[in-house]
Amino acid sequence: MTEVTTLMPATKKAETQANSAARLGLWLTLPAQLLVLFIALFPILMQVYISLTDWSPLDGIPWWRAYELWIGLLNYTDLMADSRFWGALWRTLFVMLVCVPVQFLLGLGLAVLFVDDFRGKRVLYSTLLVPMMVVPAVAGYMFFMLFQSGGPVNDLLSFFTSEPVRIAWLSDPDLALIAVMVADIWQWTPLMFLILLAGMISVPQDQQMAAILLGASWWRRFFTIVLPRMKSIIIIALAIRVIEIFKIFDTLFIMTGGGPGVATETISVYIYKVTQQELIWSYVAAIALAILIVLSVVSVFAIKRMQRGQDG
Amino acid sequence: MSEIALENLGKSFGDFTALADMNLTIANGEFMALLGPSGCGKSTTMNMIAGMLRPSSGTIKFNGLDVVDVPMAKRGVGFVFQNYAIFTHMSVRENLAYGLRAQGVRAGEMTKRVQAFAELLQLEPMLDRPAAGLSVNILQRLAIGRSAILEPAIFLLDEPLSNVDAAFRAVMRSELKSLQGQFGQTMVYVTHDQLEAMTMADRIAVMDHGKLLQVGTPLEIYNNPADTFVARFIGAPGMNILNGRLTQQADTVAVDLPGLGSVALPPALQAAAARLTTPDVLVGFRPEQINAAKAGLTMHVGFVERIGARTIVHMEQGAASAKAVLLSEVETPKARKDWTFAVPDDAIRLLDPVTGQALVGRPN
Amino acid sequence: MTSIQFENVSKSYGGVLAVDQVSFDVPDNAFFCFFGPPLSGKSTILKLILGLETPDSGEIFFDGRPMRDVSSPDRNVAMVFQNLALFPHMTALENVRFPLVERNIDEATIKARVAEVTDKLHMAHILHKPPSQLSGGERQRVAIARALVRDPVAYLMDDPISALDARLREETRVELRRMQQDMAKTLIYVTHDQEEAMSVSDQMLILEEGRVCQIGAPHDLYDAPNSTYVASMLGSPAMNMASAAEVIGALAKTPDINQSTSVVGIRPEHLTVACKDGPGRVTGIEPLGATTILSIEAAGVAWKAALRGQPEHSIGAPVELSVDPGALHCFDAQGKALSAA
Repeated sequence: MTEVTTLMPATKKAETQANSAARLGLWLTLPAQLLVLFIALFPILMQVYISLTDWSPLDGIPWWRAYELWIGLLNYTDLMADSRFWGALWRTLFVMLVCVPVQFLLGLGLAVLFVDDFRGKRVLYSTLLVPMMVVPAVAGYMFFMLFQSGGPVNDLLSFFTSEPVRIAWLSDPDLALIAVMVADIWQWTPLMFLILLAGMISVPQDQQMAAILLGASWWRRFFTIVLPRMKSIIIIALAIRVIEIFKIFDTLFIMTGGGPGVATETISVYIYKVTQQELIWSYVAAIALAILIVLSVVSVFAIKRMQRGQDG
Repeated sequence: MSEIALENLGKSFGDFTALADMNLTIANGEFMALLGPSGCGKSTTMNMIAGMLRPSSGTIKFNGLDVVDVPMAKRGVGFVFQNYAIFTHMSVRENLAYGLRAQGVRAGEMTKRVQAFAELLQLEPMLDRPAAGLSVNILQRLAIGRSAILEPAIFLLDEPLSNVDAAFRAVMRSELKSLQGQFGQTMVYVTHDQLEAMTMADRIAVMDHGKLLQVGTPLEIYNNPADTFVARFIGAPGMNILNGRLTQQADTVAVDLPGLGSVALPPALQAAAARLTTPDVLVGFRPEQINAAKAGLTMHVGFVERIGARTIVHMEQGAASAKAVLLSEVETPKARKDWTFAVPDDAIRLLDPVTGQALVGRPN
Repeated sequence: MTSIQFENVSKSYGGVLAVDQVSFDVPDNAFFCFFGPPLSGKSTILKLILGLETPDSGEIFFDGRPMRDVSSPDRNVAMVFQNLALFPHMTALENVRFPLVERNIDEATIKARVAEVTDKLHMAHILHKPPSQLSGGERQRVAIARALVRDPVAYLMDDPISALDARLREETRVELRRMQQDMAKTLIYVTHDQEEAMSVSDQMLILEEGRVCQIGAPHDLYDAPNSTYVASMLGSPAMNMASAAEVIGALAKTPDINQSTSVVGIRPEHLTVACKDGPGRVTGIEPLGATTILSIEAAGVAWKAALRGQPEHSIGAPVELSVDPGALHCFDAQGKALSAA
């Protein structure tokens, strides 16, 4: 008993010491933590604030006095009824649903080819990565030239069909979107390829050897060992591209300017036009927040899937 | 059931010769250990038997048939990887069934065989658990079961115990040995641990620097090592090998160990010694065959290492060093003192100082 | 030249006690070994000594000085990590020099100190190579040299040779022991290999789930384990354990066993095996050359006997087991050792 009684205070004292040290640490780092939080959150909070007003830079009052033009959720209800916004959103989703799978399959195919060694691999590898390094604006200009009615794309088609083809790619509302998607696939398949290749290389060699020795064919190995083991990296690659497509802007804007009409107007282009041409900044803030919420949901979903993939 | 014959097998990578001129026949149902330090060519040999590497020269025959051109998937070889290469993204059941499924075995048959193997390997309770996070002995059983379920004629194991805790290795060794008893396949086991080879193998092939040095049962290799490398590699600690000079004493030959004293040669070695052209010779004797004595060899005791039931005495004398293993009950010599010991006649081995080869005329 | 004491030290992580009321005293210049299975608290104790963790309760002393407020670098304790943690972009020499260069010591002293250590470790021929070109054993040497060169008050080594070949392990542990004696420094060593632990240490501390089981010289722990746990941790093959009734059934001569004995332990090397009709049957033979390990079934228990030399035995043959009464270890129902039966 005596041993216990003499021991208890020492234990208590030690614990309080440890606790107070921890609390001091918290206080000392608090200013830095607040600063980081402020930097991260300020733009978003400002957006939320502005989006609840009818403020525009033309109103002649500083942004922080925007509460004088308070309109509540009016911007958001407007957004719900804005057919141009919904058109841009659906168009973006359409581009995403076409481009991401195509980029994924092309990237995966290339990764399969490049995972083994062959003659000239390094040269080909560097060449394949070039599109990714081209400045998007330059890529936009390149594809603008390629898809002119007298441009190389039509020349090529003429050569194969042996009759003169004069398709006005960029001014036809249906074809313009195709041209834009071709450009995006050209530019971003290499990134997909790069990520998937890294994932494929990291699939343990002995697992594949073990599967071969158990008599598994190439396809069986690919679907039962390689792909399942790449799950996390595949989800990351897809998530990156999905988010990037929401931001698709520069290449597209140079090629078509969002036109003809609104035929290639994606969310980013729409936001740009509303900001720069119509100067309804508070409305833009509302759109931006809506998109942020959509993307957050997508990211959360992807991360959830990824965690499940790691558990399983 | 299969016999493996390696004939003049060789492998080089560029200028580097990983394996040269290996001849070895592994009998049907035999447990053969390929033993040697890292870089000795044992894994290269194994990978060629499995078909992961193509020989640079020579052939590999299974039951007399040349298999060099047979791709690894078709050789019917079970392979257990060093880290087991378990498909951790699958359940235990899916791992076991993988090979059967790949070979298109019908679902009913497959379920039956998986069940039977799960029972045999005591994997039943965890059949539907994910293979990730299982303990290492279960992983070993699963790795063996996954290959064994295809009933391969040949089983290759690549240092499967090297990642296992020392305390657990003994358990895993006996488990592995009993599994081999159950399946009865020809087993080739690669290891750098002489204890693993001694305890499990029917025969051991000792390798070094891409060469096969000796093949024999554990006791043959222990008792009559073919050369200095094998002598030092087998046993814990390995054989003591000291420089000596043959001297004629009356009508017998003895060996003088400079600074230590001299030992009389047993009759069986007299003739072998007589055939030598120079008096220089290497004398080998096992540390555990040494006994304290009034007269014999004397060395300076450096330090004494007591490990449970036995005590290892580290001794030096000039440039020579030797070890003695004594039972703990025996009075141990004092550190930093001279100690005199005797080597029994039949424990002495002679080796050629130039080639390192053992001199024939072994006492037993 | 430092003694290290723990006084009732506890440390828990998220409510789980990793180290539970641990007290011990590492004397000056001792080779002190912590031994236990994974997660028994060995690594936590090292972190506490290093000052990487603060104890929840209890006190740590270096030479009688409490260490609670002494930061990790000021404790001047060197550590060799399990994964060695060598810098891959530096040569072996640069790796060894690193701790001295970091401390702004003058070049002549660095040279002298490095030369002294690298000579002792026989590593002159590998100094110019980067770690990627070194063998496992050579990397080990670099890591140890890097720890030695600082001249710290004590060294900690966390299972530093477990990655080596079996043969190299045997040599390196002797080397380590020699080094420690040459350097005359306190060395605290963690391993999970019982043979290594017994071979190198002056004193061993056996841990189970964060608690101290027994402290003492290796051969004292081996000869007189205070519990079935300690008994089973040391020795290879492990000590045979059976109930009193089973022991009486298996042995030729009924030993005198104390009433309160629940478990009897017999070391494999203390069993004598006679080739005559008896209750035992040989089920396995492992000829190791110097010793022969027999697996024997008797009285429904699997026994291991370690026999000296290469005696003739055959599987399935009946045998008679006997043991010197002085070699029996008796334990009560809680697994605690009883004084000799």
